[in-house]
Amino acid sequence: MRDILLIAKREYLEQVRGKAFRVTTILIPTVFACLIGVMTLAAKNTGVGKHIAVASNDPALANRVRDAIVADKDAKATVEVVAPAAEADHQALVSKVDQKQLDGFLWLDTTDSGAPKATFESRSSGDFATEGRVEKAVNQALVEQRLTARGLASTDVASLTKSVDVKTLQVKNGKESASNAMSTFWAAYAMAFLLSFTVVMYGMNVGRSVIQEKTSRIFEVMLSMVKPEDMLAGKLIGIGAVGLTQLAIWGIAGSIFAGSAMAAKLMAGGIQFSIAPITLVLFAAYFILGYALYSTLFAGLAATCDTEQELQQYAPLAAIPIWLSFGMIAFIVSSPNSTISVAISMFPPCAPITMFLRMASQFPPMWQIGLSLGIMAVTVWAVLWLSSRIYRVGILMYGKRATLPEMLRWLRYS
Amino acid sequence: MPTVVALDRISKAYEQKVAVKELSLQIEAGTMFGLLGPNGSGKTSSIRMMIGITMPDSGSVNLFGKPFDRESLKRVGYLPEERGLYKKMKVMDQLVFVGQLRGLEPAEAAKRAHAWCERMQILEAVDKKTEELSKGMQQKIQFIATLLHDPELIIMDEPFSGLDPVNATLLQDTLIELKKAGKAILFSTHRMDQVEKMCDAITLIHRGNVVLAGGIREVKSRYERDRVVINFAGDRSFLQHEAIASFKEYSGQAEITLKPHADAQALLRDAAARATIYRFELMEPSLEEIFIRTVGERVDA
Repeated sequence: MRDILLIAKREYLEQVRGKAFRVTTILIPTVFACLIGVMTLAAKNTGVGKHIAVASNDPALANRVRDAIVADKDAKATVEVVAPAAEADHQALVSKVDQKQLDGFLWLDTTDSGAPKATFESRSSGDFATEGRVEKAVNQALVEQRLTARGLASTDVASLTKSVDVKTLQVKNGKESASNAMSTFWAAYAMAFLLSFTVVMYGMNVGRSVIQEKTSRIFEVMLSMVKPEDMLAGKLIGIGAVGLTQLAIWGIAGSIFAGSAMAAKLMAGGIQFSIAPITLVLFAAYFILGYALYSTLFAGLAATCDTEQELQQYAPLAAIPIWLSFGMIAFIVSSPNSTISVAISMFPPCAPITMFLRMASQFPPMWQIGLSLGIMAVTVWAVLWLSSRIYRVGILMYGKRATLPEMLRWLRYS
Repeated sequence: MPTVVALDRISKAYEQKVAVKELSLQIEAGTMFGLLGPNGSGKTSSIRMMIGITMPDSGSVNLFGKPFDRESLKRVGYLPEERGLYKKMKVMDQLVFVGQLRGLEPAEAAKRAHAWCERMQILEAVDKKTEELSKGMQQKIQFIATLLHDPELIIMDEPFSGLDPVNATLLQDTLIELKKAGKAILFSTHRMDQVEKMCDAITLIHRGNVVLAGGIREVKSRYERDRVVINFAGDRSFLQHEAIASFKEYSGQAEITLKPHADAQALLRDAAARATIYRFELMEPSLEEIFIRTVGERVDA
């Protein structure tokens, strides 16, 4: 035990004193903040300032559509009307779009009295925001026109077609509380992102540290003093403590920032992060287990490699579960209790991230959290068993990277 | 003299390759023991089993008169052939860390490290990071790290490789002092001249098998004195003497290999009768020759 602590202490001090620790401590929150800023800005500016044309054989309808689009202040769209439009105009509009004088045009054909035909043509095929605005405007204009055609006064039409914003409330333990879907989402996103980042970053860190000891030929010297199991344990504890230290620095800095005047200004928009103590405890538990899983895996793999480049080839083992988890964000947040959401939050490599996404939307039953932590703990134990055996043999092997059959043989004679 | 290391028929095989086969040896306190053999002959594998880095498939390892246990490692200092240091650590921190792992208190470890650095003439390096030091200096620090806890058994795998002659002599003298102080020292090397000067006993292994073992004088006495160097002037016809198997002649000097069991004294009498002899030396084979003969024969076989 004394040896483990000595090794952990050495590893901890070396990393915390290192330049990389200082750089990442400052750089990661900065990058994170910039990322959120850019994404928020991009979301606000999607489909803004477009120059489009509305062409129709029916000038009144075309004008209504234009009014409806212009009425959306966020869109800042410029709309010109071509009416009444003939087939020649269609060709002219196509060439204008082609020459980038227009971003796109709407072709409305009401000659068939039963069903008007609307076509939106533009250069980009992925501008969903503009397409949505145009579609909404067309429908609103048609409703208004039909109501007017049936003899309603235009003031009545306006009050009849006025849209309503939907307010959201969340039911928690039988009580209603105001929920801000965006803030919950961002809080969850932040924590899940932080978990995926730190768990994998420190897991890989252990792998790199093993490689460094291998290339600096320190292993055999160490093994004449301590057991390989103690070396591995000391390294895992030391680097894990570095990770917790970094998280604690971020947490303290974050809460100081949240209490400051600057934050009050920024958060005035209504986005609040409220993090319950239980969430913090679970965050720590998932960090420790997630870190233990990835770090033991990479420690074992690193022992079979000779250079960091070789170790990099195993990086997808960490990247794929993260892509999978983040690819399912929308699904998990919208249906946190579906079978698939529950299943993936039990799957150890994805559990830390996906469980936090579920928590964001709706706090999962305690037994599910317990079960997922339990499965993780058992998996960590199994990976530790395998990795420590591979590690024991691998660290004394120099030369080419070991193949899977070789690793399996090592399991037998270690 | 108490026996410090006793290996009894230890064997180790990896896959189909036999690394060590039924190796037995004993090392007494206050002696220097040479473990010799060409590259890949099983020296490092044997040493690793001796100190519990790997376990033998069969046979037993006794350290300090009792079966191997990890507690005994506190009395062993091992300098492996593949050796290194933590690059980012300061020399003194590194030495204290190693000392602590060997059971020393930090203050005691620092005191001893300081004394050793003074003795090894690298006191100016103690506050530097290892990566800033020259290779020779790093070697000296590794050497100190091995000896800091005053081990009774010192194992050094190729300790002299990469050292300049001045530092090699410093290391050599230190090892001899430690031997005189009653430590058991095992070292493996390719440098036969050093073995010949320093070792009391040797074991030569080849492809995992012991091919030669014993006290160094005793081993050498098994080989005939069949080399003759003669410095002479005058008639060179004695070079046709029946005892001579082959010879090389330089100006005024002949290097002769005798036939098996030939009478060297008869050659001397014959030569003295024909020419003026300034020097006649009947030499025992060097350890290097013995090494090459023993291993070479088996390589050919």
